[in-house]
Amino acid sequence: MKKLFLASLVTVLMVSCKKTTNDKQVARPVVQEVNVYTHRHYPADQNLFNTFETQTGIKVNVVNASADELIQKMTQEGNRSPADVLITVDAGRLVRAANSDLLQSINSEILNTTVPSYLRDENNRWFALTKRARIIAYSKDRVKPEQLSTYEDLGANVWNKKILVRSSGNIYNQSLLASIIAHTDEATAKNWAEQVLNNMARAPKGNDRDQVKAVVAGEGDIAIVNTYYIGKLLNSKDPEEIKAGQGVGIFFPNQQGRGTHINISGAGVAKYAPNKANAIKFLEFLVSKEAQKVFANTNYEYPVNPEVPASSLLESWGTFKEDKLNLSALGEHNKKAVILFDQVGWK
Amino acid sequence: MKRKKITYLKRDFNKWSIATLAIVVFIGLPIYTIAIRLFSGPGETWQHLVDHVLLDYLFNSGVLLLGCILFTLALGVSSAWIVSRYRLPCHKILEWLLILPLAFPSYITAYAYAGFFDYGGSLMRLSEVLGLKAFRVDIMNATGLVFVLSVSLFPYVYVASRAVFIYQSGRLIEASKLLGANEIKTFFKIVLPMARPGIFAGLLLVIMEVLNDYGAAKYYGVSTFTTGIFRAWFALEEPATAIYLSALLLLIVFTFIFLERWQRRKKSYELASRSSIRLPKIAVSKRKTYLFLCVVLLPICLGFLLPVLQLGYWGILTFESVASSAFVMITLKSLGMAVLTALLTVLVALMTLYFPVWNRVKWLRKTSNLVILGYAVPGAVLAIGVMIPTLHFDRWLIAMAEAFFNAELSLWLNGTLAVLLYAYVIRFLAVAANPILSNKLKLKPSISDASRLLGYGPFKTFLKIDLPLLKPGLLAGFILVFVDAMKELPLTLILKPYNFNTLAVKAYEYASDEQVMEASLPALCIVLTGVVPIILLNRFILNDKYQ
Repeated sequence: MKKLFLASLVTVLMVSCKKTTNDKQVARPVVQEVNVYTHRHYPADQNLFNTFETQTGIKVNVVNASADELIQKMTQEGNRSPADVLITVDAGRLVRAANSDLLQSINSEILNTTVPSYLRDENNRWFALTKRARIIAYSKDRVKPEQLSTYEDLGANVWNKKILVRSSGNIYNQSLLASIIAHTDEATAKNWAEQVLNNMARAPKGNDRDQVKAVVAGEGDIAIVNTYYIGKLLNSKDPEEIKAGQGVGIFFPNQQGRGTHINISGAGVAKYAPNKANAIKFLEFLVSKEAQKVFANTNYEYPVNPEVPASSLLESWGTFKEDKLNLSALGEHNKKAVILFDQVGWK
Repeated sequence: MKRKKITYLKRDFNKWSIATLAIVVFIGLPIYTIAIRLFSGPGETWQHLVDHVLLDYLFNSGVLLLGCILFTLALGVSSAWIVSRYRLPCHKILEWLLILPLAFPSYITAYAYAGFFDYGGSLMRLSEVLGLKAFRVDIMNATGLVFVLSVSLFPYVYVASRAVFIYQSGRLIEASKLLGANEIKTFFKIVLPMARPGIFAGLLLVIMEVLNDYGAAKYYGVSTFTTGIFRAWFALEEPATAIYLSALLLLIVFTFIFLERWQRRKKSYELASRSSIRLPKIAVSKRKTYLFLCVVLLPICLGFLLPVLQLGYWGILTFESVASSAFVMITLKSLGMAVLTALLTVLVALMTLYFPVWNRVKWLRKTSNLVILGYAVPGAVLAIGVMIPTLHFDRWLIAMAEAFFNAELSLWLNGTLAVLLYAYVIRFLAVAANPILSNKLKLKPSISDASRLLGYGPFKTFLKIDLPLLKPGLLAGFILVFVDAMKELPLTLILKPYNFNTLAVKAYEYASDEQVMEASLPALCIVLTGVVPIILLNRFILNDKYQ
């Protein structure tokens, strides 16, 4: 008991002492490294990180998890977070991180000139690395591209029991609905979600690849998917997947109006980044021509660096008008979108 | 009166009770952290959830639970009874094959089945090869989910019920038969009721796993309680609501445990153990042999062979792009971590079972039961529950270092393997505690009582008497935790340190990027590393001479 008492006394003393000393800045030992929290797990990314390591001598430490989990982790870690860079596969999550004060504004000439302004935060807290378009994949046998026009048109009666799309838990759908909220209003967006739900060929399930396969299997005629999944199907190891990829055509909606909804993979520098300079170097490397080529050619994503052409596969799909909505809007309306999905019963 | 209380205090307040309390506090810390936040109520979107989706979550989870309970019972109990009662060809191999589905993470089984039944999947190609009309089955729905979860989780029931069937029922079965009851009547009137506590222990693990499943349900598009928790937490950005939902989930699991305890009440199941003899196996006619073989082979094929073949096919397709020296390192790291976890968890489980027994404080025993609840908390929620106290501790350390030594520390504990290990132990304590507890229940208390009477203290009695007798339970606990740790996902994702990776995480990374085929190789490695320990587990159950 005596020992216990002594121990608690010492603890109390220590805690009370804490407040009397001033915060002192002590130089940390210099280790050339950058700590990356990333939602992207592609082998191509790891190769890029290795290239960065050999070029700069800066070691890249990686934590992989979903963006949501990484954001939770950074929130909990607070000002002691070892994270330098956060990479997500969606603008909404970057906006959320920025709004939760987890990212810092950085000033980099290279990033500012390379990344077009609508693809980065107005305060430069995050930057796009790659773009994906959320398009309509249609059955080449049963649908003529002339029949397709806009996302809004998907609510029309002709598509009754014909639309395939994954669950509303998926961030790509949430961002699409968020973009509709941003362009119109909640009521219109809700109405759209309800109509698309009524036109679904089946209850939402599976991932984007599964939607394309279901189109080819004849379960429905059109699917809402991201472009690079078609690229992945066409380059799959499984002959059946290649067949599935070949069975669908790609349609970029809303070309007469606001343009096709695009989303991004992007990155920001953490608010309390212990290796801020390295983090900036790392981001600058990721938007460099060399890295952008890797993104474009191995992962079938659209590069953000205007000097880098899309891969030949993507170019074969043609150029298209992008929705230039400032992507911050996706983050701002994300929660509303989820609630609307719940309200109309889109699982 | 007062004096009496003080004597109680003196008697009860000893090193064992302190140690028990310390363990309960330490292990329970994350659970309490979450429980405390319950009192701040759910978040703003609670009403929205109640209005639109809660009923759906409840209904789906209910259907899933009911379906899985029925199916795992049917598959697990029937196969356990057949292999322990009848003489079948290759019975030794069948016995461990039946445990193998446990080596699969259930979300991987779900992917494998989707791949098998899907458009362009193996079933379609097979039917084409055989010249049949190409057909496919839609498995991605609630029924399919019940099927997938049942075939991958039934071994929990199988392992638990077989252990009871082999050792507990011998003499009673003989008595029943002598008194003229036939085989079927004996089974339902004598064997099954006697085996109930054991079966329920296995079933409880199934229930917890089903309620916890996230990957498979999400992929199959079934909104359950757990997918709802993730949605509330991450999509609606409301941890408070997510924690509230988790608490409801805990309540459900609690209800199950309580119902069983209440139903069992004071009935003693020690009787059977006192007369336990090993059942001699019955030889059966040829026709019956085929019938029984079918019953036993069905769950093996569905839970193990079919997914392995599907994954194997994918593994061959993607071998070149996935296999590398880094991949071997990941395998080794996963193995090391799983062994460490299993050792530590068994040790802690043993302590929570024995420390409270060594002093006669009743409430302490009840409290120590609480630590197994970690298994019922969804992994992601538990991870945050672990992070909050460890980060507090880290901040405190940092403040101390600055105040006294003028040194600057970074996060000392967080993002280390130690924290991950801590979380694993909390999560798997229930898995380890179950076989040890059921083993302990079978031990006659009179043996250790005799040892105490003859002058050994509690600790020495434990070492010399109980520990050797508990060996089969300990080993079973070790292996089950090992296999579970190899598969563990959400905790690892959130708490793992830099540059540390496990096979389960690797498989998940591929799958979450829609590279399901690439996920097959790490998944197969998880299965392979699980096979040897599972065969061992089987031998321990059969060969323990102390029974």
